[in-house]
Amino acid sequence: MSQVLLFNVFNGLIVGAFYALMALGLSLILNLSGVINFAHGGFLALGAYLAYTLMPHIGFWGALLVAPILTAILGLIAERLLIRPLYGRDPLYSLLLTFGLAYVLEDVSRYIWGAQSLPFAIPSWLTTPLSSQFFFLTGYRIFMVLLVGLAVAGLFIILNKTRLGMRIRAGTLDLETVSVLGVNVRILRNLNFGLGIYLAGLAGVLAAGMLGLQPTIGTSLIMPSFVAIIVGGLGSLPGTLLGGLLIGVASGVTTVYFPSATEAVMYVMMGLVLLVRPRGLLGEEGRVQ
Amino acid sequence: MTTKVDLSPTRRRFIKAAAAGAALQMTGPFIISARGEQPVKIGMDDCLTGTYAAVGKNETIGAQLAVDQMNKKGGILGRPVELVIEDSTSGDAGTAVQKARKLIDRDGCEFLLGNVNSALTLAMADVAYEKKKIMVATGGHTDAVTGAKCHYNVFRICNTTQMEANAVAPALIKNAGKKWYFITPDYAFGHTLQSGLEKAGGKLGMQKVGGDLTPLGTTDFSSYLIKAQAAGPDVIVILVQGDDMINCLKQAVQFGLEKKVHLAGAQQELEPLMGLPPDARIGTWVFEWYWNQPNVPHVKEFNDAIKAKTGHMPTARTWFGFAAAHACALGANHAKSLDALKIAKALQNFKLPPEVALMPGVPYFRAGQNQLIPNQWVGHAIAKGPGGPEDLFHVDEVVKVGEAAGTLEESECKMQWPA
Repeated sequence: MSQVLLFNVFNGLIVGAFYALMALGLSLILNLSGVINFAHGGFLALGAYLAYTLMPHIGFWGALLVAPILTAILGLIAERLLIRPLYGRDPLYSLLLTFGLAYVLEDVSRYIWGAQSLPFAIPSWLTTPLSSQFFFLTGYRIFMVLLVGLAVAGLFIILNKTRLGMRIRAGTLDLETVSVLGVNVRILRNLNFGLGIYLAGLAGVLAAGMLGLQPTIGTSLIMPSFVAIIVGGLGSLPGTLLGGLLIGVASGVTTVYFPSATEAVMYVMMGLVLLVRPRGLLGEEGRVQ
Repeated sequence: MTTKVDLSPTRRRFIKAAAAGAALQMTGPFIISARGEQPVKIGMDDCLTGTYAAVGKNETIGAQLAVDQMNKKGGILGRPVELVIEDSTSGDAGTAVQKARKLIDRDGCEFLLGNVNSALTLAMADVAYEKKKIMVATGGHTDAVTGAKCHYNVFRICNTTQMEANAVAPALIKNAGKKWYFITPDYAFGHTLQSGLEKAGGKLGMQKVGGDLTPLGTTDFSSYLIKAQAAGPDVIVILVQGDDMINCLKQAVQFGLEKKVHLAGAQQELEPLMGLPPDARIGTWVFEWYWNQPNVPHVKEFNDAIKAKTGHMPTARTWFGFAAAHACALGANHAKSLDALKIAKALQNFKLPPEVALMPGVPYFRAGQNQLIPNQWVGHAIAKGPGGPEDLFHVDEVVKVGEAAGTLEESECKMQWPA
């Protein structure tokens, strides 16, 4: 039993890293623009489908590189045409818009690629387990964790070392002042949205390697991402990462003892965090931005 | 004077919004087909969104083909027939019931068809019983529909879970071994399918070494697979369906588990096999209907008609919808009435004609239970068969009509007829 438990803790970290990747994109958009992007799952699905379409022409690696960028471009367009007019209004407007957009994206995917799941195959050498005992550590999952690590590191470098990142962080704290200082807030928000959607597209390509590729692929993954944000602390990117890892491990450990509660445990965890520490594990007290 | 608008998403507002969003997910889109003049309406309440969207859609395609055929042959009692389709969602019984009531009360449907999900089928059957309308269950397999919770006016095309278990259990023992570990969806269908397999397998010496119930719509099966492998089974019996089946099999094969244990199950369908990469199309299963039946009358015409409509071969789900819609017309025309009681009596022991049955033998609705007793196809999944890219199942054995049906007493149906 102890070995199964240990395996599930490791496995939970891998799954949690994936949740974190999606949650980071959500968190990025939420922090700067105040948009609760329910369409994030829809963009994730688009990323996966674009990769599926590109794969016969440019292979898996090419698709992994190009599909998230194309998804980000679609995100930039969506922000410009749909989200931007709603800045300055109650966040509920953008929530309702993105909620509707999620359905639109799902149906667009269904219309173009069909309701039937598609066989998204990854290079066979990536699916080989590293050892017979640690069979759940496949090349693909290790690669996925490394990529998540790279994406997170890249994100933190962008946010902390680049002019754009500094502006995003400053905007997160006080957008009005940043605007007064001459920064073009519109472009800042647009690029930030695109960056968040890039992460969704990347998560989509990675998810399609492990799950069935169907129009609802993103819908099933979006709730754990929201939970990761709440558990980790709204407004805190390290908190989001921690939240993702924690719910992954909690789900894995619950499988060992009470398998039918594997999904419920993350909501229980969210409830507990809200009761004991409402700002989340690494969230700031009071104003959350 | 200017009013400063606070753009900040407070934690409280974020949580409220997330809850509102979750509540809104309960609602779904609806589709209504074209209306004719005073047609007889058949209402179809099936899964068009969620994990069963692909299989639900195929049931509606089959039903629509049947309606088209009926209308070319005089319809029902000389009146044209119209199919009205609603999205039940894949797992929300409240929505399924609401849509079933809407189909009967507002749209004036005389018949009710559906549903892929067993729990939703049971809920819809109660509505049909209350409203005294004929319901033909298309694809909800749990035994109770034509078992402990049977109704005189509720018929079913797909098999009971016990019938599937009876058909596949000997092959599982023979091909995979006696020590079984179950991965089972945590709702009515999964519970009864597992219990059916335990019963059928138990008679053949099966030993259950463990099992997990997984929530419908589970994406990550890795933790369940780790646990299953550690229990040392001969076979991991995968009972999840639809997209859950794809996720589970895909991850199991990525872990290389097929080299250590058998990966197999009971009910398998063409839809998930088509969604799997070729190396994950493995295992012993039972199909309830399969398109590749070269010498069976009318099957080729059916295959061609569906291929012309969709570009794909029909699946068992397509046939469920097709046979269910035809059963409505056959029953009404046989009874010369739209009265549910008269149709229900006309359909007792009713034999499906070959152009609807589309299989060897003569499937029939067993009297006193209203369950169709058909053939079943036991075999194994293949990466690619000789019949083309959608020939993904090799039939090892056709279990003939009645061989795996059990008895009426075993079904636990105690039919109550109205006075």
